[in-house]
Amino acid sequence: MSTTPDARPLRIGLVGAGGIAECHLPHLARLGAEVVVFSEAGAEELVARHGTGRVVGSLDELLDAVDVVDVITPTPTHTAVVTRALEAGKDVICEKPMARTADDAAALADLAERLGRRLYPAHVVRYFPEYAALHAAVARGDLGDLAVLRFTRSGAYPTRTPWFADVEASGGIILDQMVHDIDIATWLAGPVVSVSAVSTHSADGAAEPAAAAHVLLTHAGGAVSQVNGFWGPAHLQFTTSFSVTGTAGSLEHSSAAERAVVTDLAAAGDGAGALVPDTDPLDDPYFLELRELVEALRSAPGDGATPRTPRITAREGAEAVRVANAAIEAARTGTTVHLTEQGARA
Amino acid sequence: MNTLKIGLLSFAHTHAETYAALLRDRADVELVTCDPGPHAPGELRGAEAAAAWGVEHVATVAELLARGLDAVVVASENARHRELVEQALDAGCHVLCEKPLATSRDDAAAMRAAVERSGRFLMVAYPVRFSSAFGQLRDQVAGGRLGQLLSVRGANNGKLPTSRSWFTDPALAGGGALVDHVVHLADLLDVLTGGAQALTVSAVGNQLLHPDAAAETAGLVAITYPDGLVVTIDCSWSKPESAPSWGGLSLTAAGTGGTVSVYVFGSKVRGLESSSGLPVELAYGPDLDEAMLDTFLGAVRSGSAPQPDLEVGARTLSVVLAAQESYRTGETVAVRPV
Repeated sequence: MSTTPDARPLRIGLVGAGGIAECHLPHLARLGAEVVVFSEAGAEELVARHGTGRVVGSLDELLDAVDVVDVITPTPTHTAVVTRALEAGKDVICEKPMARTADDAAALADLAERLGRRLYPAHVVRYFPEYAALHAAVARGDLGDLAVLRFTRSGAYPTRTPWFADVEASGGIILDQMVHDIDIATWLAGPVVSVSAVSTHSADGAAEPAAAAHVLLTHAGGAVSQVNGFWGPAHLQFTTSFSVTGTAGSLEHSSAAERAVVTDLAAAGDGAGALVPDTDPLDDPYFLELRELVEALRSAPGDGATPRTPRITAREGAEAVRVANAAIEAARTGTTVHLTEQGARA
Repeated sequence: MNTLKIGLLSFAHTHAETYAALLRDRADVELVTCDPGPHAPGELRGAEAAAAWGVEHVATVAELLARGLDAVVVASENARHRELVEQALDAGCHVLCEKPLATSRDDAAAMRAAVERSGRFLMVAYPVRFSSAFGQLRDQVAGGRLGQLLSVRGANNGKLPTSRSWFTDPALAGGGALVDHVVHLADLLDVLTGGAQALTVSAVGNQLLHPDAAAETAGLVAITYPDGLVVTIDCSWSKPESAPSWGGLSLTAAGTGGTVSVYVFGSKVRGLESSSGLPVELAYGPDLDEAMLDTFLGAVRSGSAPQPDLEVGARTLSVVLAAQESYRTGETVAVRPV
């Protein structure tokens, strides 16, 4: 594998300038990209805040200026933006979830395949070191055959922009937050054949809204997974945990228990909980993710570089969306949803 | 204080030894035991066990009940609770019944009828609700600190029970991990909800960790309760035999006011064993069985029925039966009250 710096210019278009842009723009800049930003709101402020990037006034203008498009717009707009980028001949990185519906997500994966473009959904939890270590252990066979998996994710209710909590628009907590762990469960234990779920929401008019859901998955190999999500009051710290048991061993992790710094200081600032977890800047999963995806995009077969495959594919992104939507349906109808193999991982 | 005459019926459950020792050591209790059998080969049972534990043993249940006891602790196999509970109640004894209350609707209904006709009370042996850690959560929920309670997730994981063979015999245990470990958390939910009846249950499971077992050894359960509360329980026997401790019980409650996590049996002195490098865990903390027996014996003295009572046992059993049906059919099921 060549370690010579790539001399070709890296031109990336960032579409969207919301909260998650803080986890994209600086890392794209660190990768040496010339970043062009288009957003209906907030693009100028974003670029000014980071001192990098060039704002353009339309998606067409952006598509004319770049080779790769990084889509970080609200979920319900992913399908339209990604479709236009693919049809303009661009490779695309798209924030999770890849689309609002299973059909849309599958159609995007199909479109990319048909056009010969690459589409990488940004499932950043695969790049968090504790989940990467878990996956490596499972892949090595350290745990034997997986039997029981548990995942939790808990943080502040997203109140800054209304679309997050609008189930029609975002898919609510199951598709927006829990799709991370649904993806991890599938990554570890394989295709899902049935889904049941329960979900709830604070009463109308609550001073601080909250939502919770529990999803049970049965995998084709017989393993069972439990995915728990909670969006709570603004002071809530972002925490995650997992516990995975197989025939040869078990691994568990709790972000709350593994803090590298524990403070007991007078409260500073507004004490607001975070929408993304604390990460180590030396090992930032968003950077690791974008670096791997960009390197993969720049290693197209036939261009002399060693082709690289990232740890996530469009099909897997679409499968996470399909399973999450099955969970939404299970929670809404109070029934167990049985999935066919049709959308299973390639 | 006058002495209470307490009987211990059956040593089938591993907790019988704990109860025998706690009751033996109390100055205010006169203990007599009977372990009628049949006994599985290779297990310390009957008169031999009683001798080892230093407690009096009589040969038959009739002989024990003829002693004019105040109360009886029933620690038989799950499926044999009914016969001993009925006899004890009909003999005029209050009863502390090992969990789960029963393994079928019919048995639970018969036990309810026996309570009603005898005028005696039945308490179900759910020790976890007596833990101070859970008590803090209970008080925080009751005091409104969590706001609207929306979510509880609990895990009660242990090793495959091997010290008594009946635990893994579905005919005597009433099933596998679902019947053994769902009920403790269902009892805590009963406290937190003020005795709400669960509405729907979905359960999944498998036997991958113990392929030779006769029933499920792993189980994940999702439950809906009234007022928008959703609950999930991991009841799996997922601790390996080589684990340094038996397992534990944890739960996290989440509401509009925030979250509270409780780790019952979670406090341990931890270390390593030099020759193998394996972890060592020395659990510490109060004996919850002792706290539970205190409540039971206090109620026997006062004559006023303690909690958790038979109805708690019935509500928690209704969750187990629904979970077993869901696991069997692969569908979400509505809970039918027991």
